[in-house]
Amino acid sequence: MNFGWLLPILILMPGLLGVASLFVRSAQAVLRLCAIGTLGVAALSGAVALQTFRFVPLLAAGNWFMLDALSAYHLLVMMIVFSLSALYGITYFREEIAQGQFTIRHARRYGGLWFGSMSAMVLVLVSNNLGIMWVGIEATTLLTAFLICIHRTSGALEAMWKYLLMCSVGVAVAFMGTLLIAASAQQASLHGSDALLWTALRDAAHQLDPALLKAGFIFLVIGYGTKAGLAPMHNWLPDAHSQAPSPVSAVFSGFLLNAALYCILRYLPLVESATGNTGWGRGILVVFGILSILVAAGFIVAQHDVKRLLAYHSVEHLGIIALGIGIGGYGALAALFHIFNHSLCKSVSFFCAGTLGQTYGTHDMREMTHVIRVSPVWGSGLIVTLLALIGVAPFALFLSEFIILKSALNAGSYWAASLFMVGVGVVFVGALRHIISMAWEPLQTHIKARRPTIAEGMLVFGALATLLILGLWLPRPFQAILEQATRVLGGI
Amino acid sequence: MMTLLQNTLLVALVLTSFGMLVSGRLGVYIRIVALQGVMVGLLPLVAGHAVPTLHLVFVATAIIGLKGFVFPYLLSRALRESKTRREMNPFVGHLSSVFFGILALLGSFWMDSRLSLQSHSSSELAIPMAFTTILIGLFLIVTRRTALSQVIGFLVLENGIYAFGLAIVYEVPVLLELGVLMDVFVAVFVMGIAIYHINREFDHMDIDRLNTLRG
Repeated sequence: MNFGWLLPILILMPGLLGVASLFVRSAQAVLRLCAIGTLGVAALSGAVALQTFRFVPLLAAGNWFMLDALSAYHLLVMMIVFSLSALYGITYFREEIAQGQFTIRHARRYGGLWFGSMSAMVLVLVSNNLGIMWVGIEATTLLTAFLICIHRTSGALEAMWKYLLMCSVGVAVAFMGTLLIAASAQQASLHGSDALLWTALRDAAHQLDPALLKAGFIFLVIGYGTKAGLAPMHNWLPDAHSQAPSPVSAVFSGFLLNAALYCILRYLPLVESATGNTGWGRGILVVFGILSILVAAGFIVAQHDVKRLLAYHSVEHLGIIALGIGIGGYGALAALFHIFNHSLCKSVSFFCAGTLGQTYGTHDMREMTHVIRVSPVWGSGLIVTLLALIGVAPFALFLSEFIILKSALNAGSYWAASLFMVGVGVVFVGALRHIISMAWEPLQTHIKARRPTIAEGMLVFGALATLLILGLWLPRPFQAILEQATRVLGGI
Repeated sequence: MMTLLQNTLLVALVLTSFGMLVSGRLGVYIRIVALQGVMVGLLPLVAGHAVPTLHLVFVATAIIGLKGFVFPYLLSRALRESKTRREMNPFVGHLSSVFFGILALLGSFWMDSRLSLQSHSSSELAIPMAFTTILIGLFLIVTRRTALSQVIGFLVLENGIYAFGLAIVYEVPVLLELGVLMDVFVAVFVMGIAIYHINREFDHMDIDRLNTLRG
């Protein structure tokens, strides 16, 4: 039985929930609807993804929609990030609701945009038509822009404008790339909508015009790379991440960037097989990956704002993922593993940073001291996730970074491996300084934190335990999923 | 006949873009970008096909309606809300801007001769002219100070990309074309609202002075 018909439902369901949240009566109820609705969509996504892993890729709507192992894996990661963030949203906004800063008007707008952007991201993942995928990415930019400035402060407006303009221009450049790819397919006598169907392009990859395909791929990497936060097109990212409310920052960092990177990954196998597997396309990803790691390292050392620090960590980790994919083979597998690790870890650290920011009334790390004593749950959550982010063993992020390094050495890319080590080393030392001062430096003023609930504790420590277990032991089914997804990339 | 019409439209597209490089008045920008919207809407009707199909007429009407009338309306409303009327001292002066435009034109012709892109339109000017428009759009975004002229630069870029796509892709499915158009529409809409709020919050829309977030 073909479950392809579920794919359009998966896009429509969040859209309907978004409309529904415009009619809810209280702010708290909107947040609850966000959580329950997101969990519902996540359950459906999980079921669809399992079908894909167990049987064949799902196709629907005249092959315009498709879910294969790569997109199903991304869908799972996305739903985990969205579910956790929606649950966290209930506690994050509680204080703002009590103070009257988050009214029903804010909440309705938040709910509508939350589900709207979810729908757009699902559209990106299930599109087999590369043009529709582009439409989805542009839609995520427009829908998430107002999520940044739910509170219209001057900083949020500035961040939103930068985000809107840089990403729109970037995505417009990606559209030129998409057009060039379509043009390259004319030689393979693919016309009309076939020229943009990923499955059709993959089957005819050997007949595509390599020159046009290469030109298109460069446009695509620069265009979608802007949205994915790859250096040197990352300027919008720290502003947007730091100004947005924390559940939104978590979604931005945990999945919005990955959605854009996913688009680049879709094109990679096409370019590789059309250019005769010479590693031309992978080389470009290696360069951007290394550049992102090094640029982020510089900014991390000099950072004082905790949310901006986390944002630059995103640039670094997206760089690591791009590097791993670029190296290929087991590096690509580890990079896909790293996507999960980074998204989970970064979401939780944004949650912790958000709540601590509310407690301290600032995001300046020089004033956020003694965090573990002030707030045992969120404080230790922040410290441990930051340690995991800089690659401390035995967390899963260490494992995936280690495999990427090892496959770089095995593949003989010693330059890439050594630059990677330099970047990660600088990040380690630079961020460790911030971590130590946040954990142990004495408090300057007296700060009293709200007592965390059991649910909040479970949210933080559950995620940390998952990262710890995955660092020590990779379950067999999870490894099989990663292998399937890597095979789509043409890796192993 | 068709080729003549098409060439006229393409040359007019680049000339209007040059007009924006020279002018500093935001009202003029809006009128020029409206004119460009109508021109790119007409382009698919004269590009190659002898008799326009129903789908082409439909898409052309949608483009002319949105880019020629709805966008300019939204933009002039944003302009009315603000006190800014002129693009005061852009980062690059008008004379140097025109110089850049000429360089972009030469560069586009050079690139076209090197890349030898297979063009589907009957006009050989299509690709270089589209590419010049794209470059001028990017240039406007980077060098102009007010939020409104950046949006207009974005629209010029979009027009250029549309003309480029028309020249190199045989046929784009209607649904996709409408999706893209809708995205651009929402983009302009969202940017218009953003300008409105920036105006209210800062009492100006000078992007150069939105610089508190850094590092």
